[in-house]
Amino acid sequence: MTALSAPAPAPAPAATARPHLTRWVLRLHRPALYVWTALVLLSTVLLLLLHGPFADAAAEGWRRFDSCGFNTVCRYDQSAILRYKDWYNYATLAVAAVPFLTAAWAGGALFGKELESGTAQLSWAQSSTPVRWLSVRLATAAVLVTAGTGLLAWLHHLAWAAGRGRIDSAKDWYDMGTFLTGGPTLGALSLAGLAAGALAGLLWRRTLPALAFGTLLTGVIGGTAQLLLPHLWPTLGRSGHGYPTSPAGSWTVSQGGNTALYHVTYHPYSHYWPLQLTATALLLTVTAVLTLACFVVLRRLTGRAAAR
Amino acid sequence: MTDTAIAASALGKRFGRRGGWALRDCTFRLPAGRVCAVVGPNGAGKSTLLALAAGLLGATEGELTVLGTTPAQARTRIGYVAQDKPLYPQLTVAETLQMGADLNPERWDAAAAERIVAAGDLNPKSRVRALSGGQRTRVALALALGKRPGLLLLDEPMADLDPLARHELMGVLMVQAAQHGTTIAMSSHVVAELEDSCDHLLLIGGGRVRLAGEIDDLLAAHTRVSADADADLAAHTVVESRTTGRQLSALIRPAGPLPDDWRTDTPSLEELVLGHLRNPGAPALAPAEEAVA
Repeated sequence: MTALSAPAPAPAPAATARPHLTRWVLRLHRPALYVWTALVLLSTVLLLLLHGPFADAAAEGWRRFDSCGFNTVCRYDQSAILRYKDWYNYATLAVAAVPFLTAAWAGGALFGKELESGTAQLSWAQSSTPVRWLSVRLATAAVLVTAGTGLLAWLHHLAWAAGRGRIDSAKDWYDMGTFLTGGPTLGALSLAGLAAGALAGLLWRRTLPALAFGTLLTGVIGGTAQLLLPHLWPTLGRSGHGYPTSPAGSWTVSQGGNTALYHVTYHPYSHYWPLQLTATALLLTVTAVLTLACFVVLRRLTGRAAAR
Repeated sequence: MTDTAIAASALGKRFGRRGGWALRDCTFRLPAGRVCAVVGPNGAGKSTLLALAAGLLGATEGELTVLGTTPAQARTRIGYVAQDKPLYPQLTVAETLQMGADLNPERWDAAAAERIVAAGDLNPKSRVRALSGGQRTRVALALALGKRPGLLLLDEPMADLDPLARHELMGVLMVQAAQHGTTIAMSSHVVAELEDSCDHLLLIGGGRVRLAGEIDDLLAAHTRVSADADADLAAHTVVESRTTGRQLSALIRPAGPLPDDWRTDTPSLEELVLGHLRNPGAPALAPAEEAVA
């Protein structure tokens, strides 16, 4: 039953027509987009409350408590103090979970599931290449993650700064949860989570292992960054006889010696931004390496020529 | 344009460094405009071959030319439907076709795709996850045909269809081939399923090409003979022979005229395929010299 008729004339070339890949990434992952939006909105509301009324009430409570003498009955609003402290911890937990949620979603839903069910191959069988498929997915997710974490980190920093010096129970600047969630480190770790999840998805090509491995890898990256953090910027030091201590409000990195010569090294608060920025640079480098690895794995999966 | 849809030469694919070869030493040529049956037992390498031709996998060795270029560069002109008909379950049928239009902006034929879906009495608003196997196949075919492919690669396209839907969709494919000159390569392990519709055969067994060519030519090249048990077949290529008592029956490729006292018969396609699959040692018949176009 060989076809005898001539092939149909080719459709008019549409030189400007480019596949709308981004639109379909957003459509296919609409539930995740809704969840992300809701998480950002709720956290925003909570952080604004912490920054404003909660911090003010807690600061007033501490002001009254601190002015109480030992012998008088002290009247202060303890619930306001606890409210700031508790909700600050919840907000920190929610914001600090973002890198891990990103990794789990990228490994599980964005890549693992598509490769497991064959819909990735369905996309590659359309008119754009596997490399475009990967880049558009990574880029779209990266833009949304960066925008969301940027907002959350800024608001979290504000909520923390509102209590600094006014609320005695406020976290120190070097408290790990506070440090991670209060600056660009959060965005960088989230992007590393995205890349780690993507790599896990491409390596395992199954939803659950990719979800688990992506999250685990992000944990390892975050933990390593935390261990390296004190060494990312030169510390200050004091040494001498007796027991010199680091100045108030500074992060003691090491101390030791003997009674003859005792020394302490520390980061003063003025190292906050240098540490944030070096940690961010380190995490972005890791992200770049993981992203490169994603493209290498994709090329091995689809063949050198096919991936182009 | 080229008159060759697929040309493979010494094509091989191995999964992993130490994995076994899914496909090895494949050399064949599929002329354009043919409807080709890719036949072989389960695990023979049919899916691997189709995925290689669709540009979804990279070959480990050898050359593969599709529509005159590499599979990756022919991507916009290839339609491919994988064996388990993957589709996004959360999309509706209409959205799936809209996605086809958006992802294939240069070639999309919305009317053709919608026609195929409409013929299946599918509600465009139903979600893909709610469709039956046959309905999914129809949507997957619509997505592949909406691209107006020059080459359509179908991996076990009819496996989960009832006889009526199978007949109907095969009709859709035949119309496509006749009207647009689309080359179609479809795999199956059921020969009978493809016998009426295909004019070209590619038989794969154990990762290698066992038979390749026009079905009529292949049938003409083989003869089923019955002769006395002491008949000498040595002059001919023997695919399969069996001696029952004083009777010898064999499937051969005659090298010259056969003795008059042998009873001869043209084998059916199924006999030809089974004969080659039962006897992996039988010499392959593939026009290898033509393959390097």
